[in-house]
Amino acid sequence: MYLMLDNITKRFDGKVAVQDLSLSVPRGVIYGMIGPNGAGKTTTIRMIMNITAPDAGRILIDGREVDGSFRDHVGYLPEERGLYKKMTLREVMKYLADLKGYPARKSSQAISFWLERMGLKEYELRKVEELSKGMAQKLQFITTILHEPDLIILDELFSGLDPLNIELVKDALMDLKREGKTILFSTHVMEQAEKLCDHICMISLGRKVLDGKIGEVKAKFGRNSVQIAFEGDGQFLRALPGVSEMTEFNNYAEIRLAPDALPNAILKAAAERLSVYRFEVMQPSLYDIFIDTAKVSPVESQREEGGRHV
Amino acid sequence: MSKFLVVLRREYAQLVKKKSFLIMTLLTPVIMGGFMLVPAYLSRKGADHVETYAVIDRDGHGIGFRLAEAFKQYTLSDSSGPAYKLSALKELPSDHGTEYQPFYDSLVQSIRERRLGYLLVINADAHMADSNLLLVTNSDNIRTLNRFEYRLGQVLTMRRLEASHVNMPVDSVMRLTRGIDLPRQDTKGEVVSTEAKLITGMLLMLLIYFMVLINGQALMQSVIDEKSDRIVEVLVSSVTPFQLMAGKIIGTGLAALTQVGIWVLGAGMIASYATATGTPLDSSITRTLFNPATVVCFVSFLILGYLLFSTFFALLGSLVNSPKEATPLLLPTILILFAPGMLISLAVMEFPDAGWIRVMSFIPTYTPLLMMMRVTVVAPTIEGNPLMSPIMGDAVIGMLGIIVALLVVVWITSRVFRIGILMYGKRPTLPEILRWVRHN
Repeated sequence: MYLMLDNITKRFDGKVAVQDLSLSVPRGVIYGMIGPNGAGKTTTIRMIMNITAPDAGRILIDGREVDGSFRDHVGYLPEERGLYKKMTLREVMKYLADLKGYPARKSSQAISFWLERMGLKEYELRKVEELSKGMAQKLQFITTILHEPDLIILDELFSGLDPLNIELVKDALMDLKREGKTILFSTHVMEQAEKLCDHICMISLGRKVLDGKIGEVKAKFGRNSVQIAFEGDGQFLRALPGVSEMTEFNNYAEIRLAPDALPNAILKAAAERLSVYRFEVMQPSLYDIFIDTAKVSPVESQREEGGRHV
Repeated sequence: MSKFLVVLRREYAQLVKKKSFLIMTLLTPVIMGGFMLVPAYLSRKGADHVETYAVIDRDGHGIGFRLAEAFKQYTLSDSSGPAYKLSALKELPSDHGTEYQPFYDSLVQSIRERRLGYLLVINADAHMADSNLLLVTNSDNIRTLNRFEYRLGQVLTMRRLEASHVNMPVDSVMRLTRGIDLPRQDTKGEVVSTEAKLITGMLLMLLIYFMVLINGQALMQSVIDEKSDRIVEVLVSSVTPFQLMAGKIIGTGLAALTQVGIWVLGAGMIASYATATGTPLDSSITRTLFNPATVVCFVSFLILGYLLFSTFFALLGSLVNSPKEATPLLLPTILILFAPGMLISLAVMEFPDAGWIRVMSFIPTYTPLLMMMRVTVVAPTIEGNPLMSPIMGDAVIGMLGIIVALLVVVWITSRVFRIGILMYGKRPTLPEILRWVRHN
């Protein structure tokens, strides 16, 4: 394991922000840390960055407890981010690379390379304040990875980026992964994590509720939902045995199945009364899994805490 | 290169590159010079318009006439004519009861209508008591008021001598009754004028005061900017908060020293040019300014004062989200901790040996200004090596005091700064801040 969090706990003024959190991030993967706002993701990242210290537990990078000396080998894009408005793009990039101890002879080349790749070449000597929000985001991304960090931590990377730029940045991330970099990707937008990550870990109310390879996580939750596109009045589907929940959209419906229900039975019943033109057995989305898990976990955690007091 | 130096270099470069740096560097000496020279010039400059006055002499011994004679010698600043016009001189012995009041009233009315500047009434026995004299005017022209007092004083002295039957020409009387100009020298056989000491002391104090405040606030602004532009978290993922803070403080300080250096260089060039062209420099001021004790103290107090206050300003900056929020914290700080040093130092001229001033000058936040003044005043009279003198002993204790205070402030700031810079929104309360200081 490249990055290990071992029973981390952090409290602020008596309120628990992160509770007994353990993570294992293998080298060379994109690891998604997902959870709603306020779940404790940013606090966890700040502890990994040694910006704040955990009240209990250990954090290991490459087998060594974090102490700040590894800072130069990490690229961190915080959720609260910005750049010096009055400096030119090149100056900002050079400064932040210098701060990471990245050699000057390499940084000049790297700056040119990334400006080109992210489509910012022509703004090189402009001031940061002249950039649009999307361009500033790309610049921020470059400053995060410019110094060739082994570990890249991205907190809400895609916020403020349009789809074209998201693709641009995503491609860069994939390349970095191929180069063997480890990427910790934190977001509250489950769809992003689903598309990008190899591993995920879900955090809710400061606790880990789920983690594992994305395929394993989904498999664990089973193929328990179908999507069906049809013409006609599909209301009767709700009442079929084995249907636990149905969400109707404009021209299709998503049906959650009871654990032992068979998709075939649904298809058969639907085909008898509707003209079905698409039927698909689906893996649950991370969003569904999260909703399911988060529904259960707060109750569980309360129970555990209650138990501890006894 | 150490990260501290990377931060320092950026901070320095950003400040020195600014246009305002160049403008302030050029403008400050002009403004400061203006503050000192313009009032001096104005007070030396003569009157530029004629003032009118009238005299009613009820004494009957020619006092009004003699005063008018004396006033004739005052001319306008461009020497184009007399500075005063006598619009009426009326001798009205006291027994002419009915004529006086209407005349007096009409002249007062003239003053009211601004057609007349001054009305001097000389009552009987003017030489016996000042209460027998009266000047009616709405003017506050100090120079003219002083001239009335001075010339009347001379004329009345004459009148008193006559009354005592001493009859002499005016010149002789003036010669015999003149005051003295006491020659003075210190134990080195030299004398440095008190004004020179005061002016030099004020100049050095003002320089320290403004350099500390302006650059301390620039630093605070830069901390607030990094916070509000959300750069701080990016930075502290590369450097420790302490490296960041130290780099910023020293970088800003070096920019300030660069500015002072340019001024010193400029002053040196002007001085050497003046010497080369044979223009005499005021030896009192040069001897005060270039005294080794004064120079050492100025440099030390400038640097130490800056470090002490800028660290504190960095602390304030880390706690707030905007300069507006900082003002209610900043103003009391300056008014209570810093500015009194300057006010108290004005007393140094009057009570140079007062124990309470000495005690106050050991309070670290007052030391930079107050000790600077004490040293400036005492240093020129020191025999032997000024650096080994007792006043330097006091100054060194003062410096050590600042260093101790600085260490305390740095200790507190390093604990608060690292948390404060990552806090957005609500300003932390004092109990919260104290908790950060305790648990860290």
